[in-house]
Amino acid sequence: MNALFSIVFLLATLLLLFLSPESFLPTLLQGATKSATLCFSLISTYAVWLGLMNVWKDSGVTRVVSRSMQPLAKKLFKTSDPETLDAVCMNMSVNLLGISGAATPYGIKAANLLDKADSAEYSSSMLFVINATSIQLIPTSIIGVRTALHSVAPADIILPTLITTVFSTLLAVALVRLLIPPKPREIQPITATKKVLTRGAGI
Amino acid sequence: MNYVFALTVPLLFLGSFIFALVKKVSLYDSFTEGVKGAIPLVVSIFPYIASVTMLSLLLDVSGMESKLVGWLTPAFSFFGVPAEIAPLLFVKPLSGSGAIAVLSDILTKYGVDSYIARCACVAYGSSETIFYIGAVYFAGLKRKKMTLALAIAVFSYLASVVLCCFLCRFM
Repeated sequence: MNALFSIVFLLATLLLLFLSPESFLPTLLQGATKSATLCFSLISTYAVWLGLMNVWKDSGVTRVVSRSMQPLAKKLFKTSDPETLDAVCMNMSVNLLGISGAATPYGIKAANLLDKADSAEYSSSMLFVINATSIQLIPTSIIGVRTALHSVAPADIILPTLITTVFSTLLAVALVRLLIPPKPREIQPITATKKVLTRGAGI
Repeated sequence: MNYVFALTVPLLFLGSFIFALVKKVSLYDSFTEGVKGAIPLVVSIFPYIASVTMLSLLLDVSGMESKLVGWLTPAFSFFGVPAEIAPLLFVKPLSGSGAIAVLSDILTKYGVDSYIARCACVAYGSSETIFYIGAVYFAGLKRKKMTLALAIAVFSYLASVVLCCFLCRFM
């Protein structure tokens, strides 16, 4: 992002220098004004959804969703370690429910646990693509922005979004299974102990 | 179809609140506790939104954007993707809040309910900040071969953009 910002900012400013240098500052100020308006409408969107999401958290909906994912996660990540499965499932369900920011701690925990697991390359890649292709059920911030800009049907993007996001996740999962196959069973115990040993030495 | 979606949100709230009451959650306390997070969250993303909005307007005013769109149109139209959403497609894998600034810019420029705007919304909603996630989740680990996983994620993202622009034609 740093590179993109620097290059585009410098190029655009250089161009403006020749075209209309007087419009430089007004453009920046207008941008800041627009972003303030946008943030204002985001506050209302988040107020509504973060409220609901906290109710989900407190009433255990997140746990229920997470538990229902255990069988799927067992197959996807080729692991049966309960702690890893729990972190992975919490990460996926929080992503699914769109609880912003909450997915990251579980994701990092899951990434660290999977790194120690058997066939770590396969399962870490799986965790990464599932997170990187997004599986959010309700795109709350987009509906918020669309509503703020007086769309006639702010929610009509839900279905295509859902289809697209499911497609990209399935495609990525299939590609990982195809291109990064999990290691065969018999060499697992050896690699596992080796990893534990090197980890211990590191600490 | 629209009526079904109009029902989804109230039913979701109703269902969640009844479930919470059954589970003996103090609903008001829990809901307000969640709402409390809204302002800090927006405050934390404001710098990114503001900077990227400035950049996005600068791109527009300097005429760079129309040139970029002109160059990319042949390649993009081959895949059925409107080149007008190109800035969004570049920013989204890097920064989520930056992308929402670009998205809102596209929505005001081409009209919220236009084809281009709907493509942009679906592309935004169905993707994630691939590079950011890669950096945050796997920074602490010993360098595993994540390049292949990264390539898979980027490929799936591009494929999903093509699909979403196709879907938006008739949905």
